[in-house]
Amino acid sequence: MKIKSFLKDVGGASRVTKLRGQTLNNASSKNLYIDPINATAKALHPGPIEVVCTKVEEVSPTAKKYTFAPTNGVLPIFEAGQYVSFDLDIDGTKTTRPYSICSAPYQAQGENPFFEVTIRNGKKGTGYVSIWFYENVKEGDKFIVNLPFGHFNYEELRDSNNILALAGGSGITPFYSMAQEIANGTLDVNLTILYGSVSHKDIILEKELKEITSKTDKVKFINVISGEGEELQEGDEKGFISRELIKKYSVESDPTNAKTSYFVCGPLVMYQFVEKELKALNVPLRRIRMEVFGAPRDISQAEGYPKENINKVFKLTVRRGIDEVVIDAKACEPLAVALERAGIKNRTRCRSGECGFCRSKVVSGEFFVPKVGDGRRAADKRFNYVHACSTYPLSDIVLEIPIL
Amino acid sequence: MAFYKEKYDAIVVGGALAGMAAALTLANKGKSVLVLERHNLPGGLTTSFVRGGTEMEATLHEMMSIGPEEAPFKIRTFLEEMGVKVNWLRVPEAYRLVVPKEKIDITLHAGFSGSTQNNVYVPGDYVAAKEIDKQYPGTFSEVNRLLNLCTAVFNAVNYLSINHMSKAQMLLKFPEFVKTCGYSTDEVFATFNLPSEVIDILKAYWIYVGSPTSELPFTIYAVLMADYLGGGSYVAKEFSHELSVRMVEACRAKGVQYEYCQDVDKILVKNGHVYGVRTKRGDEIHADYVACSAYPNRCYGNMIEPKSEVPPIAFKSANFRKMGVTCTSVVLTLDKSPEELNIKDYSVFSSETDMDLDAHWKNLHTKGPYNYLTTICLNYANPSCVPEGQTSLSITTLPLPSAYMDVKPNEYHALKRKVARSMIETVSKHLGVNLFDHILEVEVEMPHTIAHYTSNYLGGIYGYQHDMEDHIVARLQMSDDENYIKGLSFCGAHAISGDGMSPCITNGRKAAKILLDQMSEEGR
Repeated sequence: MKIKSFLKDVGGASRVTKLRGQTLNNASSKNLYIDPINATAKALHPGPIEVVCTKVEEVSPTAKKYTFAPTNGVLPIFEAGQYVSFDLDIDGTKTTRPYSICSAPYQAQGENPFFEVTIRNGKKGTGYVSIWFYENVKEGDKFIVNLPFGHFNYEELRDSNNILALAGGSGITPFYSMAQEIANGTLDVNLTILYGSVSHKDIILEKELKEITSKTDKVKFINVISGEGEELQEGDEKGFISRELIKKYSVESDPTNAKTSYFVCGPLVMYQFVEKELKALNVPLRRIRMEVFGAPRDISQAEGYPKENINKVFKLTVRRGIDEVVIDAKACEPLAVALERAGIKNRTRCRSGECGFCRSKVVSGEFFVPKVGDGRRAADKRFNYVHACSTYPLSDIVLEIPIL
Repeated sequence: MAFYKEKYDAIVVGGALAGMAAALTLANKGKSVLVLERHNLPGGLTTSFVRGGTEMEATLHEMMSIGPEEAPFKIRTFLEEMGVKVNWLRVPEAYRLVVPKEKIDITLHAGFSGSTQNNVYVPGDYVAAKEIDKQYPGTFSEVNRLLNLCTAVFNAVNYLSINHMSKAQMLLKFPEFVKTCGYSTDEVFATFNLPSEVIDILKAYWIYVGSPTSELPFTIYAVLMADYLGGGSYVAKEFSHELSVRMVEACRAKGVQYEYCQDVDKILVKNGHVYGVRTKRGDEIHADYVACSAYPNRCYGNMIEPKSEVPPIAFKSANFRKMGVTCTSVVLTLDKSPEELNIKDYSVFSSETDMDLDAHWKNLHTKGPYNYLTTICLNYANPSCVPEGQTSLSITTLPLPSAYMDVKPNEYHALKRKVARSMIETVSKHLGVNLFDHILEVEVEMPHTIAHYTSNYLGGIYGYQHDMEDHIVARLQMSDDENYIKGLSFCGAHAISGDGMSPCITNGRKAAKILLDQMSEEGR
């Protein structure tokens, strides 16, 4: 094109409009809509799935392993370390519970897909849902579940392929998932598990984990027994998961060389202890992964909580669309629990403040969010959007939640 | 128990920027409005997420048409009129372009010696033209002439998107616009006497409109350049989510009912006119007017009920269009400061091969490895975005959905990591620092991620490709004749102005205007 002709051309708008009109008219008038990308996205995150309990097995005197199969024959892909959320209706209380999946991802695919969770009972502080689960769930029971969730999986872009798992209590379950996936040859990492227990009778999934260590060199399993006078078995360590033990089982016994990733899952007291030990060892921050651990058992112990409120009961006005109901909300329980007790559906998943599924808006009223597990975005904090599973009322509250 | 009113004046399907702009515009005219958003967060792709206690931007998040506080530009003005006061931070540089094969390494800044008044740029000397002249002496006047041509076109588009004008008037008032609009960007480049490296430098932003300059209408290029290199771009201090939440709050203040977790399944039509929607939850909600954020392909293809209400011409209007890009993005929090990681810039475009955009475009039709990357270090625009001593870095490229249509669920995770690994490796090579040794948090966004969170057709983020067959000027001229179902208008990146956060706001306003005009015609 010559510059001159370009400067004289005033017909461009008409020309492009005509071209567009012609192109449109030449197109097919059939419905050609397909969307394989949304279809794959849906397969990866299918939403609610119905599953049936196909097996219940004792894996210690205080723990049972439950196997679930999808009634439609398909489970989504998950990664070892992720969790499943159960939608539960217990005597009119509509609630959910997240459980780490203890079976391996490969078992959820193929012809007879299933996943498993292990639930412990009998310990002080066991939540009422876990007790209910332990005492009631049997073969043939059907549930609605949602999966996968969570970020407690090995991420090859970030983590060392040498993982030192620091586990306590039912915190062993995600590592059992990883161990089985490794034994299956579908996860290429070296996994050493330090499993802290008071005594051998508290250990869950021991037989299963030992079986794996006999099959592959890539998984090692060491019991760390803390109880005074408890009998030790071959290969056991005594005491807590201390800095000395962490050092000993790190690659080249050097926690600072970044050759080991530390994955921590267990009860709150263990986190507090282990976090301190890892810090003392100067482990690079990027090598530490902590699983979330649920709402605090006693919010009055949380840093900054105004203790005088703990026994109060407030009015919670719940708005859904143009509907409004008033229910009670105990100061000692998160708003999500108040909703559940009233039978109001609310979408919780992690129940630790992290995932944000239960994001709702506090229109008015005072509330407390514990610092640990405050996964809110900055702008949400500014405008009083809260994660209901980790928000405690300090006054009467007006809350807007989604219509579910 | 009723959650909804008997009837609304209008329902907005999708509570992202376009939907909220539409809702605000409708509510501002006294209409009762319901916004139905399928996610539990507002804003669509204008969002953020938290990992390991640190908030991260979902992906590209620069806003155009904001302008400085003392000389506000159209989007800042509109938002403030609607009561949306965002804490905007100006990004420091426009971009750095690195093309090792052509020995190009240059950093350009926004700004010019002219002025802005009432959304009109008065021409002047562009800072970027001076910066280019320093490395390529003697090019100032031609580069500046090109950028001023862009400015003139930009002024025209801004004017014409609001006002009607006869062709003769247009020619008198906006001759540059009239004379360039029949040409592609490359065709207009060819009329300038500039070395190829300089042209390549001026092409760098092409990815932000997702179309190679051989196919890109100059009109779109001009708007992009004038806006970014004139007014500069902005980010919200509390991440993109700040903009979205503030828009929701403004909606609430205007009486708009904004509902989360409501996935609209069907748009209900009778005798050629919309009368409501049905959600996946099963609620049938009534309104005679619907602004729809779903792509026309999906809306006509799968949402209109009954299907017989979709005229053949509507399918044609969706089928003729070329799908725009989707996104693959790696979002990183790193355990060292930018300085320690040799990261010196806010925004870097890097080309592993020559700046041959047709070759890059071809490359974007594959699953990678990708040759044209955008790397953004948010610290330089927003130092408080991460804790001291850490870095927020994202690496993005915008492939075509067609490359990802065949991905099976069981291939997804491995593919995602392969794509991400290659992008991190490429940027590591440029920096001379192995970023893999510094990753605190990493999230990878794929076309499927976009689909999962937004249900956008084919995971698209930019609507339809801007090309000569679907020219913005033609889109504008034909828009009045393309309302095939009465009471239905479209908002989102697939609407007239195309992709980007600011154009989406414009699209939402336009969608509302179409509905308002119909309401008044129909006596509502």
